[in-house]
Amino acid sequence: MSKNDTTNDPTDTTDSAGLALDRRGFMKTGAAGAVAAGLGLSFGLSSLVEADDYRDALVEHTGEWRASTCAGCTSWCAAQILVDDETGRAIRTRGNEHSQVHGRNDCVRQDMAIQQLYDPDRLKQPMRRTNPEKGKDVDPEFEPISWEEAIEEIADKIMELRENEETHKAMVTRGRYTYLRPILYSHFPQIIGTPNNISHSAICAEAEKAGPMFTEGEWSYRQYDVTETRYVICWGADPISTNRQVSHYSHEFGDLLDRAEVAVVEPRLSSTASKADEWLPVEPGYDGAIASAMAHVILTEGLWNEEFVGEFEDGDNRFVEGEEVDPDTFDESENSHGVVQWWNLELNDKTPEWAEEESGVPAEQIERVARRFAQAGPNAISWLGGGPCMQIRGTYTAMAVHALNGLVGSVGNEGGTLYAPDDGTASLPGPDEFTDEIAEEGLAYPEEHGTGDKIDQRGSLELPALKGGESGGGVVTNNAADGILEEDPMEIELLISYWNNYAFSNPESQRWEDALEKIPFHVTIETHPSETAWFADILLPATHHQFERWGQLRSTANGIRSINLHQPVLADDPDDPEDVLDNGRLWDVKTDETEIVYLIAEELADRGFDNLFEYCEQYEDPETGLAPSEEYDGGSFRDRELRAQAFSRNAAKLRTQPMWDPDVEAPPGDEFDGWEEFREAGVWNSDHWEYRHRWPSEGGEFDTATGRFEFFSETLRVGPDTDVDPDDDIDLEFDVDDPDGLEGHAERHDTDVDDVLETCNYLARTDGERHAYVPHYEEPYDMGDDGDYPFKFVDYKDRLNREGRSANATWLHEFKDVNPGDEPWEDVAKLNPRDAAELGIEDGDEIRISSPAGEIEVTAKLWEGVKPGTVAKTWGQGHWAYGRVASEEFGEEEHGGSNNRLIGAEYDRLSGSSVFYGDVCVDVEKL
Amino acid sequence: MTEHHSLDDEMRTEVEQLQLDENGDDDVDLNMVIDLQSCTGCGACNIGCAQENNLQEGVAFSSRIVETDGQFPNVSYEYTPTLCNQCEDAPCASGCPTSALYEGEGGITMHDPDQCIGCKYCMINCPYDEIHLHKEDPHPRWDDDEAVIDEGTATPTELKAEVGVDGDAPAYYNPNREVGEHEHPTRFKGVVEKCTFCVHRLNKGELPRCVEECPCDARIFGDRNDPDSKVNEILGRYNPDVLKEEEGTEPKVKYVRDYNGGSYERGKGEPALGD
Repeated sequence: MSKNDTTNDPTDTTDSAGLALDRRGFMKTGAAGAVAAGLGLSFGLSSLVEADDYRDALVEHTGEWRASTCAGCTSWCAAQILVDDETGRAIRTRGNEHSQVHGRNDCVRQDMAIQQLYDPDRLKQPMRRTNPEKGKDVDPEFEPISWEEAIEEIADKIMELRENEETHKAMVTRGRYTYLRPILYSHFPQIIGTPNNISHSAICAEAEKAGPMFTEGEWSYRQYDVTETRYVICWGADPISTNRQVSHYSHEFGDLLDRAEVAVVEPRLSSTASKADEWLPVEPGYDGAIASAMAHVILTEGLWNEEFVGEFEDGDNRFVEGEEVDPDTFDESENSHGVVQWWNLELNDKTPEWAEEESGVPAEQIERVARRFAQAGPNAISWLGGGPCMQIRGTYTAMAVHALNGLVGSVGNEGGTLYAPDDGTASLPGPDEFTDEIAEEGLAYPEEHGTGDKIDQRGSLELPALKGGESGGGVVTNNAADGILEEDPMEIELLISYWNNYAFSNPESQRWEDALEKIPFHVTIETHPSETAWFADILLPATHHQFERWGQLRSTANGIRSINLHQPVLADDPDDPEDVLDNGRLWDVKTDETEIVYLIAEELADRGFDNLFEYCEQYEDPETGLAPSEEYDGGSFRDRELRAQAFSRNAAKLRTQPMWDPDVEAPPGDEFDGWEEFREAGVWNSDHWEYRHRWPSEGGEFDTATGRFEFFSETLRVGPDTDVDPDDDIDLEFDVDDPDGLEGHAERHDTDVDDVLETCNYLARTDGERHAYVPHYEEPYDMGDDGDYPFKFVDYKDRLNREGRSANATWLHEFKDVNPGDEPWEDVAKLNPRDAAELGIEDGDEIRISSPAGEIEVTAKLWEGVKPGTVAKTWGQGHWAYGRVASEEFGEEEHGGSNNRLIGAEYDRLSGSSVFYGDVCVDVEKL
Repeated sequence: MTEHHSLDDEMRTEVEQLQLDENGDDDVDLNMVIDLQSCTGCGACNIGCAQENNLQEGVAFSSRIVETDGQFPNVSYEYTPTLCNQCEDAPCASGCPTSALYEGEGGITMHDPDQCIGCKYCMINCPYDEIHLHKEDPHPRWDDDEAVIDEGTATPTELKAEVGVDGDAPAYYNPNREVGEHEHPTRFKGVVEKCTFCVHRLNKGELPRCVEECPCDARIFGDRNDPDSKVNEILGRYNPDVLKEEEGTEPKVKYVRDYNGGSYERGKGEPALGD
């Protein structure tokens, strides 16, 4: 039984037998109420409200459901918000009924959104730090200031950098975003003149994108065709709890269990594992061994999909344990490339028995799951989550897990693993014309100075970050702290951070406290105070994304891509900037991606630098043709705010114009007559994904170097844009001009690929036992030796987490036990009872968990869903400055402990992804 | 655009047609069936309920029992959603000295706070721990007038004033419970309270909030006396379980299929109503 705290104790005598007070003792708003409140009267004592003040209809019947979008996780569900006609308050939310991805179904996270909107601890107006000293234990002594003052200070700082021609010392960091993000995240830094725009993506799941990138040329997340599938293997993915499009997958899961089998590879009993047919409780970090063994079983038992992979010319299966196959005997399908090489270089000795030794999962179970998965193919899914691949050697595991989809032909196929149909949204007006010489110099600064391409040092020898196959193409979010501390490639003097909390959300987050302490001028834009805001010089209060602002996100599942609009739903007419400013938001808050950029632009123009302002003026209302300054031309700050809001609305209209403007071309999908019709619906649905359309045998092409699905990754070797003829014999001496990929990265640093791999902590080599260009298993790289740190730490995200922004919501704590093994209002670390007995730890004991990176003190929970030798803990607690509920004492003491104080700052360097899983070693002791 | 006719839509149509009588003089027998295979244990029901009914922290009309059994690696976890069972033979009502608890419309066990003296006999008599005593004035956390950052963040009382919510209520106060004569919108100290299948919603033709909020179609709700109701359809398909059957209370909240819907055998062939 959970110790959830809703148990009623009839023997408790507290306040028993109190008198039943007047049943209408509740008081509504009104003059009498204000007087009573002023006098401190207890509302229960007298009947201040007549019965006829009460309502005779539900809000559902008198209010209005208005469309917006939930960004409480990367499902990004289209939403509808019920707005009360009497008070204008948001009452509740649900999935948008017009969405063909999820309909009215949402997930529990969206239901929590109103506790964020109506959180008393939200920032309600701009503030300035008065204490020049910065530190975790230093009170910033914030004082309220006006928006005008705040924007002036920011503009002054930008002008100072421009006058000194040191714009490269500016930096923008982003966390969650909408697709209006180019304005603040890309265009603003370019016009100001800094290369330093750092996203959160590498602490999200970049390694998860590397698997499909280096097999089928897609640097993106998949959608999974669960309504048509017959077998699902989840690898560190928990689709009814976290991961993507939880609304759709939750709705389908009960039926999926009837139709298909589900296996879960996961070191702890996850929500999905608890309902699955098979749980494969893998030793953390050893997922790749299981994936290789499954591929071995599928090939030796002749269960691969011939149409996708090919067949032996004479029909005899030569995939025999321990034997090499002559490639000439295998007639490769035109859809894929290199299965024989994969077998010869990796798979031929990777038996289930071998994998059992490595992973702790029984050989018989590995064999059974592999066999049934392949027998269900091509209607079978190998579902890759972050767990197996956000590890130091994770890219290769990601490739191995995703390659199973290739073996059974489920790639882009019915009941398999799909991508999103075409999006069709428009590019926003760009910054190129407004980028002057000073800016160009700032942007080019890293070419001549220091390490890597930006402050995160991406592209350096140690950090290939091969997004899209390009050296330095991706972000290495967490390493930006080191860049700041080392002043390499530059010193940072101005940071604008928005919609993120890097001082909490990055592994070994202590480093960010040091980095932020060092930055002399830091502006943060957030809905809440946070551990990052604690170090800021200026705090700007942000609109809540679901209720108070314009934006656009998109969802992908059920075969559909949807385009989802955010709008300020609290205003009756969101198109009217005056209504939005007066009624559309709770406090004096503004939107990071648009309004704040616009206000800075005008302030810079006042100082003689009007490039950003001229850039903003491009954002004309596509219906009226009016630029912001033509719609409101007054000189007051209020007029500026109205222009900023018009700019914001125009940006949303421009971005989604193909969806709603019949005169602008869009991919096949919903059709609307105009903006207002689209705005009211709030969602555009594409047509269904066309199965197999990228298969070369169907006339398509994969975005890889060979145009095929690659079991031997030419794309990892030379990048996707270099054409390699798949019919050439695989010959690593074969040179290409100006390659991307690993060869490109090695060339850039005047070295060879093996040196890159060694530097980046991989075991693979171009001629090694573990081969650089095929999906393969590498044993985990432990952070901490097993003498001092004998346990593996299993981190996973809270189901109620809302991307780390809901820790101040009471419902998260009240219902925290929806995470299997957790307890309400506690932040427990879960140990297997057998381990706990050896350590003398009992349920509820206070324990210290330590790693080479740091330590936390939390409560022990003994739970059988944890693999012996591991400690499992839900991520999300340990806040000390996120509000009164999130912290034990705001600004002073954390509630529970943050996993990120234990997880060291390491990377899967090929993808740039931070490491959260598999490699984290800890010690546990009773306090 | 496609309009979806979901399971919720069909059940809502049934509810709209119910002829409920406040004194229980109706021929309606409201039941809820929870399909555990469809349930994912997400807690959306609980949060929806808390918001619909303005429950303060520590009180959950929609709640759960979670159980872990076995030893690693042979270990199971089950989540069982719970709520008042609206028992046919309700020991809370039969033991109530003031008849504050009684059988109301549709067979729902109703509670009249005017009659309640807070004696807690019902709490002792309820085998399911589903009666909640209000030990204090509701929502004390919303009485606070301290800000975590002076003048920079709001206070709970300031926020309530800003959004026009008064009284002992959270800033996200839901006025739905003001509708009808059944409920006190936020409740008060010294009386007990319990789930009523959201009777304020039923009377206006809407489903209980937990039913509507469930993203998994795991809650099937309707009239047992209507042979064509969805609730009869699922009861016709599966033999249900009830909690503590041995208590003889005849719960109207029933459970079908297993939370651990997976098995080592391929598909059990037990389709849900959504199929």
